[in-house]
Amino acid sequence: MQLELAQAALPRDITLAEWLLDPTSWTGSSGILPSLLDTLALCSAVMLAAVVLAVPSAALLAHLGRAKVLSAWLVNIGRAVPTFALAALLVPVSLRTGLGFEPWPIFIALTAMALPPIYLGTYTAVSGVDRAAVDAARAVGLRSREVLLRVELPLASSVILTGVRVAAVQVVATEPIRAFLGGDGLGRYVRDGLGQRNDTLLLGGAVLVAALAGAVGMVLSLLQRAIEPTGVRRLRPSVRSTRIATAASDLRTDPDTAPHASEPPGALTGAMTLTDDERD
Amino acid sequence: MSERNPLLRWDYVVAQRHTIIAAVIEHVQLTLLTVVLGLAVAGVLAAVALRWGRARPTIGAATAALYTIPSVAFFGLLVPSTGLTRTTALIPLVAYTLVVLVNAILDGLDQVPPAVDEAAEAIGLSPLRRLLGVRLPLAVPVIVSGLRVATVTTVGLVTLAAIVGQGGLGRLILDGLRRAFWTPLTIGALLSILLALVLDAAFVLLERRIAPWSVRRPASRAGAA
Amino acid sequence: MTDASRPAVQLLAVSKHFPDSVAPAVEHLTLAVPRGAVVALIGPSGCGKTTSLRLINRLIDPTSGHVEVDGRDTRQLDPIALRLGIGYVIQAVGLFPHRTIAQNIAVVPRALGWDRGRTRRRVSELAELVGLEQEQLGRFPDELSGGQQQRVGVARALAADPPILLMDEPFGAVDPVVRARLQQELLELQARVHKTIVLVTHDLDEALTVADRVALLDRGGRLAQYAEPDELLRAPAEEFVTEFLGPDRSLRRLALLTVDALQLRRGAAVAVGTSTHDARALLARDGGDWIGVLDDERFLGWVRGTALAGEGSVTEQGLEAPAALVGPRSTLRAAMDRIMTARTATAVVVDEGRFLGIVTLEDIRRALAERAG
Ligand SMILES: Nc1ncnc2c1ncn2[C@@H]1O[C@H](COP(=O)(O)OP(=O)(O)OP(=O)(O)O)[C@@H](O)[C@H]1O
Ligand SMILES: [Mg+2]
Repeated sequence: MQLELAQAALPRDITLAEWLLDPTSWTGSSGILPSLLDTLALCSAVMLAAVVLAVPSAALLAHLGRAKVLSAWLVNIGRAVPTFALAALLVPVSLRTGLGFEPWPIFIALTAMALPPIYLGTYTAVSGVDRAAVDAARAVGLRSREVLLRVELPLASSVILTGVRVAAVQVVATEPIRAFLGGDGLGRYVRDGLGQRNDTLLLGGAVLVAALAGAVGMVLSLLQRAIEPTGVRRLRPSVRSTRIATAASDLRTDPDTAPHASEPPGALTGAMTLTDDERD
Repeated sequence: MSERNPLLRWDYVVAQRHTIIAAVIEHVQLTLLTVVLGLAVAGVLAAVALRWGRARPTIGAATAALYTIPSVAFFGLLVPSTGLTRTTALIPLVAYTLVVLVNAILDGLDQVPPAVDEAAEAIGLSPLRRLLGVRLPLAVPVIVSGLRVATVTTVGLVTLAAIVGQGGLGRLILDGLRRAFWTPLTIGALLSILLALVLDAAFVLLERRIAPWSVRRPASRAGAA
Repeated sequence: MTDASRPAVQLLAVSKHFPDSVAPAVEHLTLAVPRGAVVALIGPSGCGKTTSLRLINRLIDPTSGHVEVDGRDTRQLDPIALRLGIGYVIQAVGLFPHRTIAQNIAVVPRALGWDRGRTRRRVSELAELVGLEQEQLGRFPDELSGGQQQRVGVARALAADPPILLMDEPFGAVDPVVRARLQQELLELQARVHKTIVLVTHDLDEALTVADRVALLDRGGRLAQYAEPDELLRAPAEEFVTEFLGPDRSLRRLALLTVDALQLRRGAAVAVGTSTHDARALLARDGGDWIGVLDDERFLGWVRGTALAGEGSVTEQGLEAPAALVGPRSTLRAAMDRIMTARTATAVVVDEGRFLGIVTLEDIRRALAERAG
């Protein structure tokens, strides 16, 4: 059996600018636009699944103060497993269970990749919420569930969002491997460029993939600023990052990836970026 | 058909054992080479950041930016200039390790208690002696943790280097995919996952052994089993 | 080169302005540290004590003025060589956590290129000197108590036998009981090694007990007074000094002066076998109620005047043991304490059983007054 890969054929002597500026490169079944939408659709689905799986469980466990070691352990394993290998391993399994060779393997592998940063971000954020605020909430008579929903989650939301954003950027950056696993998406041009030894297609594809990852990163950063609760944002940044750093150090498994309490607030983002280096 | 093409055909594995072993060796070699080169480059960058403090944010931002380049794009961008060579594989692989390793080195040096360095200066150790004899040894545990992350990440990325014709086990995977013959795919994928987990575990053991002087270990490390 | 009369360390009109602060950290400080003396730098927090110390071994350079070590301007000396030749105990101890105790102590000798054998001998000698067990030498600093770590810090500073020792709150991190012991040990150590020591502290009692001379700094590194402890307490040079020393100056002085500094009186004391007649006559002259009985140099006890009626001689029978006994090295404060708690009027001073004389509250009061003159 041979996997049929629809290849974007291209004249050899066309330049990069010509390819990108030609409207017909963008439309059609193997055009840039449909490929882009394809990629975005898969990434959105992955993020939705990862958020639904990771945020509630992490928030609840952190609220209860449970499973700290187990969480660290799972996050670690999750980060160690190579995404490409996992997806490849799932291809025959998916075929045999009648799900087809696409897109379930890549979907599952990307979801597995997105889980650790989201889970870790949520867990550390919720357990890092100022104990004084939680005690105060208990003191005025909030029930445990209300403490979680009305105090801990809102206060932790900024960091949770950071975890989600980091995961999303990674998912978008990794999704192009799909083109090497029997799928398409925006990675197809790199694959086809390599296959046809066509440098224009190769470079164009690489630029598109990189541009998308950059754009998604920027848009999500702006989006995060826009939707973050203002009260949380107004917390003194140093206080915020210190608390989180302290909390993160409880869960983290790699000392180098957690910020020092003394680091500038910007370090928070860096720390989150670094707490999930698994990407391929 | 499922009988002739199961997930794993042992007879094929046995027949191809030399190819498989060679792939593992190539994978490990590329991983180690990447991490060693990465550590060397990160060392230079960290030295620059230490010497000229103002360069530190720039180095941080640049290494972080390198890290965000999608791997498929990074490999792809290099092929026109460096071809399907080991160099094409190494450049992105090394670039990806930098953010972790530079930060590990600098963080490791930063977390040295100021009193210790102060004492070293006060009793008359030269700046070089202080760095090599006091600060760097004390930074080793943090640097090793950085190496752990870099190594494990690299094992995964090396798999992907198969798209530029490199990367040991990744080639078995791609070969399996192309031929829709599952045994090389399964073997390649399982071995690369195993390799990542084994190296991760090895580093955990190393981390435990690396600092005999710290009697009271931080709880976070104990939890990293 | 080393001239005994020349100060070991001398600050000459030294000022230090840190670039980003308005007030100077140290201003026009002139201070001579005599060879072999222990000088304490004391003053309120932030007054420039640490800065002054750091100026001495060129951890920082003065903005103006200059520093001389052994009569040589430190600016002419290589800072690394200078520092290797001066012991330094930093406030936070700052032991190297990744090195064993032995390796910590050996740092400076190794930097100076001593051979292994010599270094090893020196390390075990120092362990002995500062009171560390030899078996602790192979341990890491984390495995030692705070007090033991302080000892290692001192040993490390002494390793290459530097003539000068700078100590920045060396006992700041330990509890008062341990601190008192370490201070005592430092004095005993100093009696053996005769270093020139500049010691920073913010503990007045520490300065008064340990130092030969105390330099009291006011904020901004201004030298308010530089004097021997007793003189400082007796004659504060200005309002700030009086305030800094606090209301219990006399009590502190009592803690400084020792019994042997007094002119001890024998008081009314007779040898065993003296006739009661003579004893009565002596007691009448003295005007007291009790008379001391001696056997040669030994003080046997007191006998009440009323028990000396009739003829005969003073015997060993019926004596009352002295309620307050002090040694010649006891402080006046301890002597006073002994007298008050024993509810007696007189303390007997004995040195290893040998009778030296007696001390009364009146003697103590007079001593304070005399010295104030
Ligand atoms: N490196 C520096 N840069 C700027 N200012 C400094 C520096 N070191 C000390 N200072 C300032 O100089 C003054 C004197 O500091 P120093 O450390 O000498 O005080 P100190 O007497 O040792 O105080 P403490 O008893 O608290 O240790 C302080 O106001 C301090 O803030
Ligand atoms: Mg100080």
